[in-house]
Amino acid sequence: MTSAVHSSLRAHRASPASPFAELDDSHVVQAFLSGQSRAFDELVARYQARLLNFIYRTIGDRERAEDLVQEVFIRVYRHLHRFDQAKKFSTWAYTIASNLAKNELRNRSRNPLVLFQAIRKHWEADHRPLQFEDSSSRPDDMYRKRHLRALVEQSVEQLPEHHRVVFVLRELEGKTYEEIAEITGCNLGTVKSRLNRARNSFATIIAPHLD
Amino acid sequence: MDCCEFREKYSDFADGLLDDESELRARRHLSLCAPCRRFDAAFRTGVRALRDLPPVEVSRSFDDNLGRRLRHELVVRALAVNPAWGAVAAMLVMVTIGLVTWDLAELRAARHAASAVAASAAAPHAILIPPPVEIRIDTTQIFGDISHPFDPVLLVADTTPFADGSTLRFDIPAVWGGR
Repeated sequence: MTSAVHSSLRAHRASPASPFAELDDSHVVQAFLSGQSRAFDELVARYQARLLNFIYRTIGDRERAEDLVQEVFIRVYRHLHRFDQAKKFSTWAYTIASNLAKNELRNRSRNPLVLFQAIRKHWEADHRPLQFEDSSSRPDDMYRKRHLRALVEQSVEQLPEHHRVVFVLRELEGKTYEEIAEITGCNLGTVKSRLNRARNSFATIIAPHLD
Repeated sequence: MDCCEFREKYSDFADGLLDDESELRARRHLSLCAPCRRFDAAFRTGVRALRDLPPVEVSRSFDDNLGRRLRHELVVRALAVNPAWGAVAAMLVMVTIGLVTWDLAELRAARHAASAVAASAAAPHAILIPPPVEIRIDTTQIFGDISHPFDPVLLVADTTPFADGSTLRFDIPAVWGGR
């Protein structure tokens, strides 16, 4: 089982024809719980990028986000037998990811090194040379596009933690209000209120730069 | 509808969740209010740009690192499910350490006796210092083929120099599967 977990994780991308590819999440979970260890690789393949993007947009640190995604999968692996299969696996995975991201933000807020890292990150973004990803675009268009990207990233980072999680789940992950409520452990009213405030803040931050 | 109400209901408006009447009032306000139009345009442009951001990809080492952590998890789980495994492993390690220590003590006593005899008979010569003796016990053998993350047990023998320049030698008990 151990070697299966390790080797097939590596081989998964190389072989798209996973025997579990056609199954929905709940069946993949059942397959894993019934002893088919490779089913776990399918869950990893399905969720690693999504969770990475969610956590990255929430905490703003790519390397740390990857560590936390691994931690999500470790916890999933550890507790999958206790997972209520009447619920959606994705919601459960996002709940774990959201809690880890929140803990990370809480820990970082107490660490003065974070300020330095944030300043360095923004400096690097501002001084990065223009990337000619699209040769048909004019340089000023490319500059505007890049500027807008940096701007929206910074705007998300400026949102308060509780608002940011809800905002990212809604705008980037496309979660429903009900799913967000379950993931964040809040009631529907709180989710709506936080999302409205997050959207207002986001638009207010970004509006002056778009004129 | 005024600006305040529009902003209060903006989230529902953006998601198309307002009832027909509120939706109509919001649209009417939007057509008349330039700041709210700018606000709405900023939100929609920003969200579009956010969704267009290139996705972050997992690094090449992600699978290896996760695989390693999962293997560790598997061993921890195996030990937790069957604590007897842990007890057996600990006992085996203790017994081996005991055997090796006992062997070494006996060996050193014999060598000291031999070197004392040799020293009295022969002329003094340069003392050779043998290299430290290391014994690595491959703990993976305890668990069969499981490549678990425990470090090998490392024993370093006391290498008190002998006058005859001989080196220490001993065997690891066969309990380790021949290693």
